Amino acid sequence: MTAVASLSPAQLRAALAGPGLTLGTGRFTTRLHSPIASVADSIGLLYADYPLLDDTAFADFHLQLTRPLTHRRWLKPQVTLLYDGRSLFRPLPLDQAYPMFEWGLNWCVSSRANRYLIVHAAVVEKNGRAAILPAPPGSGKSTLCAALVGRGGWRLLSDELTMVRLDDGLLVPLPRPVSLKNGAIDVIRAYVPDATLSPPVTDTVKGTVAHMKAPGTSVARAGETALPGWVIFPRYQAGAELTAQPLARADTFMELAANCFNYSLLAAAGFEALAGVVESAPGWRFTYSVLDEALAFFDGLARS
Amino acid sequence: MSGWRIVSGQTLHHRCWDGMAVLYNDLSGATHQLSEQALALLLDLRDDLLSSDDLADPALADLLDNLRSLDLIEARMAPGIEPV
Amino acid sequence: MNDVPLLLQALRRPALVVTLDDAAWDLLLRQAGAANLMATLGHLLDEHGLFARVPARPREHLDWAGMLARRHRQAVRWEVRLIRQALDGLGIPVLLLKGAAYSITGLPPGRGRLFSDIDILVPEARLAEAEAALMLAGWAATHHDAYDQRYYREWMHELPPMQHLRRESMIDVHHAILPKTASARPDSALLRAASLPVAGEPEVRVLAPADMLLHSAVHLFSDGEYRNGLRDLVDIHRLLEHFGTDARFWAQLVPRARQLELTRPLFYALRYAAMLLGTNVPAGVTDELADAAPAPTLLALMDALFRRALLPEHDSCGDWLSPLARFLLYVRGNWLRMPPLLLARHLFHKATLSLRKPRQEAA
Repeated sequence: MTAVASLSPAQLRAALAGPGLTLGTGRFTTRLHSPIASVADSIGLLYADYPLLDDTAFADFHLQLTRPLTHRRWLKPQVTLLYDGRSLFRPLPLDQAYPMFEWGLNWCVSSRANRYLIVHAAVVEKNGRAAILPAPPGSGKSTLCAALVGRGGWRLLSDELTMVRLDDGLLVPLPRPVSLKNGAIDVIRAYVPDATLSPPVTDTVKGTVAHMKAPGTSVARAGETALPGWVIFPRYQAGAELTAQPLARADTFMELAANCFNYSLLAAAGFEALAGVVESAPGWRFTYSVLDEALAFFDGLARS
Repeated sequence: MSGWRIVSGQTLHHRCWDGMAVLYNDLSGATHQLSEQALALLLDLRDDLLSSDDLADPALADLLDNLRSLDLIEARMAPGIEPV
Repeated sequence: MNDVPLLLQALRRPALVVTLDDAAWDLLLRQAGAANLMATLGHLLDEHGLFARVPARPREHLDWAGMLARRHRQAVRWEVRLIRQALDGLGIPVLLLKGAAYSITGLPPGRGRLFSDIDILVPEARLAEAEAALMLAGWAATHHDAYDQRYYREWMHELPPMQHLRRESMIDVHHAILPKTASARPDSALLRAASLPVAGEPEVRVLAPADMLLHSAVHLFSDGEYRNGLRDLVDIHRLLEHFGTDARFWAQLVPRARQLELTRPLFYALRYAAMLLGTNVPAGVTDELADAAPAPTLLALMDALFRRALLPEHDSCGDWLSPLARFLLYVRGNWLRMPPLLLARHLFHKATLSLRKPRQEAA
C-alpha cells in the first residue's frame, strides 16, 4: 500500500495542484485538488500514514480548494471550497484553507452518506466496545477525545462523525485528524506531548483551530468496526468533581436523535438504528475537570 | 363524534424502556417521546381494542387531545361518515 | 461538441453500465449528481434488473440517493395531506402540478425525485381565499419586497412562494401555467375541467395525461432556468413512454396542444427528448406538428442552444459555448414570460437590488 508519506513535499504539492490527490480516509475515498500551499503542507503532515490511491480509482467525494478570482484576491486573499466544481459555501480567508478541507469533508459525509445514522459525536473504542461522545460545541468533547486516543490508549474511530451502519448497527470508523479549538490546543500540547499538531489558524468562526494527527494504529485499523458500548454526554466544568449520572434510555434516545445529522432523513431506518444503539449502550451524563480522572473513569467502563 | 382511531395509513415504530416510550410516525416523519400509558392507549386504538365508552372517559380527554395534536390520531365518525 | 455524455448514454441504454470500470463509474455518478439524477439513475437500473451488478462503492452512492428520495416522497405525501386539510372547507380541490403530481400518482418521473416546492393550481378567482386558508394553517408569505410581490402576483401566474413556519416546506400556488404577461394564454379552466382524481387521495387531483405532458414541456421550454434541464427532459421522456403505450394519448396530444396554444413547446419537447434520450415518437405525430416548428435558421439556433443547455452542468459535458447557451436561454425564458419593457424593468431591478443589499456570497 502506498501512503501519502511516500511523496516528497514537492511531489505532494504538484499532485494536489495538478491531477489531484486520491486519499483513502477510512471508509471513504476523497479526490482533492488544491494549488494552495498550506493545504499540501497540512495534508503531508497529518495524513502521512493514509493510503494513496490511483487517479483511476473510484472516489466517493470530489473536493477542490481554490482561490476565487475576486477583486479581493490580493488585498484579502480567500479560499473557496467546491464540490465537484459547484460552490456550496461562502469563501473564507486563505489561511483557513486546511480547516476548510476538514469541515468540507465532514459536510460531505454527514450530508450524503445515508446508509449510516450519523451522530455529531466523537467515538472511541477499547476492548471491543465503543464510547460515543455527543456534545454541542464548547463541551470539551474534542479535548476529551484527543486525550483518550493520545494518551489513554483508546482507538479513534472519529472525532466528529459517529457512523452507525443501518444494516447491522455496527460503528464504522472514519479516523481523521482531531479538531481542537482555542484553549484545548494548549491543553493537549501539554497532556499529549508527542502529538503532531497542524499550525493553529486564528479568527475562524470557531475561534482558533488546530488539528491533531490521528494515532497510526487507529488509521491502520480503519477497516475494523466496533460495537456501541456507552453513550456519554460530556461536559467540562473547571474545578468540578467528576460526576457520572445514568440517563434513562428514552432520554438517551431523544438526546442522541437531536445530535444526529441525518436522523430525520433516514425515517424508520434511522429510528430502528438509534433504538439499537440505545439498547446496547446505556447513557451517562458526565462532568469532569481533570483529564486524568476522566481517563480513569473511561478505563473503568472499558474493564467492566 | 363517536370516537377516535389512529390516522389511516400509518405504521408505528416504537420502543418502551422503564416506563418511557419513543415512537416514530412514518406518515409525518416525526418522532415523539411518550409515557408508557400514552403508547399503550395508541396501540390499543390501533388494534381497535377500545369501545366508545372507554374513549369517552374524561380522564382520557387531555391525552387524546395531545395525541391528536401530534397527528397520531384522528376523529372517527359513526360508520359510513368520513371526517371532513 | 464533446461526445455524448456518459450519463445520457446510460439513460438511453442502461445495460451499458455493466461494462464500466471504476473511473467510468466515478464520472457517471459525478454527472448524475450534477444533474440531480442520481436517484433516478438508481431506479432506472433497478427497473432493468441491473442494480445488483453495480460494483459495491458506486452502488452505495445510489443507495444514499435512494434513501434521500424516499424521504422526499414521504415528506411530499405528508405535505399534500396538510395542504388538503388547510384548503378543506373552501371546496377547492388540490390540483397538484409537476413533481408532487408524479409522486402522488406513482408515475415514473416521481420515482427517485427530489422536491424543493409543491406546486398547486387553483382558479384565479379563489386565489385570495386559498392564500388566506394557507396562512391560517401556518404558511407565511415570502418575498416581501414590493417589486417581487408585484412580479409574482400581477405579472407571473402565481402567489409569491409560501413557506410553512414550522416545517419550512414551500408551496407555490398558481392560477395558470404560463404568466399573464406571456403571449400564449393556455386556458386554466380547460386544464381544471380535464383534471383527474387520484386513487386513494380524496380531494386531490392531477392534470390529464396530455395536459401533464404539455405542462412539463412548457415549464422546460418557456422557462429560463436549466439547472434541472436534463431532469425535466427525463420527466418528459418518462411521461411519453408511460402514456405513449396508449394510442389515444398520441391521437389527442397535438389537438390539445393547439387548443392550449402550446404547440411550440410541444415541438421542442418531442424533438429534444427524441434527440437526446431516444424517445419513440410516432412519425404521424411529428408530421402533425410540423407547422409548429420555428423557421429553419431559428431552429438551428435553438438546436445549438438546447443541445448544450440540456446537458448536465458539469465540466465533462458540453463545450466552451455551454455557459453562453445557458445565458441566452435565460434571457429568452424571461422574454417569453414578460414583454420587453417589463423584462428590462425586471432585469434592471434585480441588478440594482443586488448592489444595494450587502453582497451575499453563493450559499
